[in-house]
Amino acid sequence: MPASLQDLLLNDRGFAFDPAGGETFQLSATGLRVVRLLQQGCNEGAILQHLLDEYEVDEHTAERDLETFFGELEQLGWKS
Amino acid sequence: MNAPRIAVSGLHRGDNPQPGAGIVRSIRRLYPDAFIVGLVYDAMESGIYIDGGPDKVFTMPYPTTGAVSFLMRLDHVLEEAPVDIFIPTLDSEIELLVHLEHDLHARGLMTYLPDADMLSSRSKSMLSEFADECGVTTPRTEPVYDARGALAAAHRLGYPLMVKGQYYDAQLASNDEELTAAVTKLLTQWGAPALLQSCIRGPEFNAMGLGDGEGGVIGLCCIRKTIISDKGKGLGGMTVSDPKLENFVIKIISHLKWRGPFEVEAMKDDATGDYTLIEINPRFPAWVDFPSMFGMNLPAALVEMLVTGFRPKPMSRCAAGHFYLRHQIEVLGHINDIAELSAGSDFAVKPASLRPQPTSSHLPQSVIA
Repeated sequence: MPASLQDLLLNDRGFAFDPAGGETFQLSATGLRVVRLLQQGCNEGAILQHLLDEYEVDEHTAERDLETFFGELEQLGWKS
Repeated sequence: MNAPRIAVSGLHRGDNPQPGAGIVRSIRRLYPDAFIVGLVYDAMESGIYIDGGPDKVFTMPYPTTGAVSFLMRLDHVLEEAPVDIFIPTLDSEIELLVHLEHDLHARGLMTYLPDADMLSSRSKSMLSEFADECGVTTPRTEPVYDARGALAAAHRLGYPLMVKGQYYDAQLASNDEELTAAVTKLLTQWGAPALLQSCIRGPEFNAMGLGDGEGGVIGLCCIRKTIISDKGKGLGGMTVSDPKLENFVIKIISHLKWRGPFEVEAMKDDATGDYTLIEINPRFPAWVDFPSMFGMNLPAALVEMLVTGFRPKPMSRCAAGHFYLRHQIEVLGHINDIAELSAGSDFAVKPASLRPQPTSSHLPQSVIA
């Protein structure tokens, strides 16, 4: 896991602060859940299963949205 | 400890703020009774007139007039308002003062400055050579001495370019016309050479600290500039905690064996994710009082070190997440203040004593009537 994801400071409302880069971000509730799961060390498959269990969403939609979100995290250097 | 007696220069806090007023504020946080003398070059330096500002103010001749006139005026200041410590804040002053260490010492005046070699190694015109020696990257930079030479250099470097004055100021140039105007202005204002520097795309980071002269750093505060004025000044900043940035700064300071306050300006290259050295300033920055507000008071540490003769313990790094916003307010002055400070440059005044009092319905009689 990239060090910056581990160091990311989050609050329960999805406000995120990157202490190394000094930038702030606002995550949606689902985005916050995904980032916290990544911080706990979950892999992509486990995160997808969490979303299917916790939200009313079909697998195809969840998979597509997750892929888009992971792409954004990679651009930020939070996920390799 | 007796209240320290300190001279500080560079009190202007306007569009292009100088560090002196922030240094005074930081010192007063720890030494509220400190006797502080402001050394100014212009009666319109706004920090003269702030509450909690200097106790006395003297105008000084510009450092470019040379050592003799500067020291003569300093002798007058020391006679009228003796001080033990001098914290210069302007690059042009420091250029002069590093050659006057013995003269200052002979007058019982303590400073904490780099030597002439350290100062010259980090000068804007030597930055590329220094970066190579130190093993850090810096944008391609060329010194230019006239508009014609600037155009030739610009065609080698390619646009856009940052055009920098020898001591201060920077302007972005995207074509020959903008370049010619910027170079002409900066050469007129700050003398030769001006510097042309390739632009780096990415966020800007600054680090302020105090070098111990042996390669160590007594305190270090790193920020990301979050709001940048059209002149490149940081109107807002956020403390960051990035070991990569800290190691980058420590590598530079350690290589220079820097003695005294410093500010390292760097950019994080979007293309590589690496830090690139933009500039090393031989003084505290204008945002010096920001970390003092949450416990990293470097001006007070400098005063303590000079007064006690002991090096302070290294401070812990600034925690990430503190931010500052530059907030401009009006300060009150009176024409009498300017008259006192301007009339032959031979007055030491405490400006507050000359100001109209809010409770009075009468304006004071003008000294120039």
